[in-house]
Amino acid sequence: MIFPKTTISEIIGLLEAINDAGGVEDAARLAADFDLELDEILPSIEGAELLGFVITTDGNIELTEDARKLLNASIQERKKIIRNKVAGVEIIKELRNELMQSDEHRMSKEDALKFIQRRIPSSDTESYFRIIINWTRHAGLIGYSSDSEEICLMSKR
Amino acid sequence: MLVEIRNVSKTYETDGTRIPVLENINFTVEDNDFICIVGPSGCGKSTLLRIIIGLEKPASGEVLFKGKVIAPDNPKVAMVFQNFALFPWLTVRENIELVLESKVLHEKEREGMACKYIKAVGLDGFERVYPRELSGGMKQRVGFARALAVEPVLLCMDEPFSSLDALTAQNLKDELLMLWADKNMPPDAVIMVTHNVEEAVYMANRIIVLSPRPGKIVADLRVELERPRNRKDPEFYRWVDKVYSLIV
Repeated sequence: MIFPKTTISEIIGLLEAINDAGGVEDAARLAADFDLELDEILPSIEGAELLGFVITTDGNIELTEDARKLLNASIQERKKIIRNKVAGVEIIKELRNELMQSDEHRMSKEDALKFIQRRIPSSDTESYFRIIINWTRHAGLIGYSSDSEEICLMSKR
Repeated sequence: MLVEIRNVSKTYETDGTRIPVLENINFTVEDNDFICIVGPSGCGKSTLLRIIIGLEKPASGEVLFKGKVIAPDNPKVAMVFQNFALFPWLTVRENIELVLESKVLHEKEREGMACKYIKAVGLDGFERVYPRELSGGMKQRVGFARALAVEPVLLCMDEPFSSLDALTAQNLKDELLMLWADKNMPPDAVIMVTHNVEEAVYMANRIIVLSPRPGKIVADLRVELERPRNRKDPEFYRWVDKVYSLIV
């Protein structure tokens, strides 16, 4: 499994740029527009694809209907859409299931790192941890307390 | 008239040499103005902003806020900084509540106001998080929430997007414009300093162009582009070109 190293803010910024281009844009041109190298923008494209906001074919990236809904929504409505999308990502689904079965819906950071390492084997588990928590916090699903070094399920608002 | 900048000049002295930074700046800020100040680097854009909010004194001239000389602790003016300027040992909510301490006496009320603006910028869920755990985009959202929480009449921003990666900056510009379009939200007027002409044309309804040092106003333009603006629109490009041609 791969997990794109990008934040939710970057993904929405990317969708806004594709929208400006008329809903479909070439990956290389998008990168050039932002003065980025192609490999710098790729994680955000992969992230947008993972969340079902774009479809990529032959280097062209096209917005889906869900992406248009997101872009037309208010800041709070955007959070709800993001919540549903992020909740559907496999590794996050599994992590939430694990948390639901654990004591007080909590897990130590150490165990969370092991959990991630098993699914995304790499020498850079710490940065995957930060990225996944960025997504789940943005979505209001899983939080992290650096005081207790624990992750926990966030209550539904 | 909200703010009046009258004959403002500024000079710095180094090793006995006087360097003029700003020369005879005059303009007024009205309700609903979203002003971007642009100009070549070193033209005194940020200095002008610091003078407008009362953090620096002009060598001559004055800044009037609703007819009175601006004071550095004016509670109706808020600032967003390029480098976020958050206290690392305070959580998101505490960073925001701190600016309300002198303004709102009751703790419960402070909590309520902090929560309102945390939610407005989409930071709900991050209340108890420390700045070190936040991405740049999230840190600047705290900067926005903290500035809005004092319910300012005038919001000043000094290069608020230039520490962010390009995609995050795009997202935050759009979110800020969403907040600006919401008439139930503060502020009444915005002054933003930026070196990025495209950003100015995207955000502002008025652009003030400064000359190279010493900064003088070379143009004060009303941007007649409908919102939401599209960076790919030929008319948008014409505006960008027009502003560039005034700078170089």
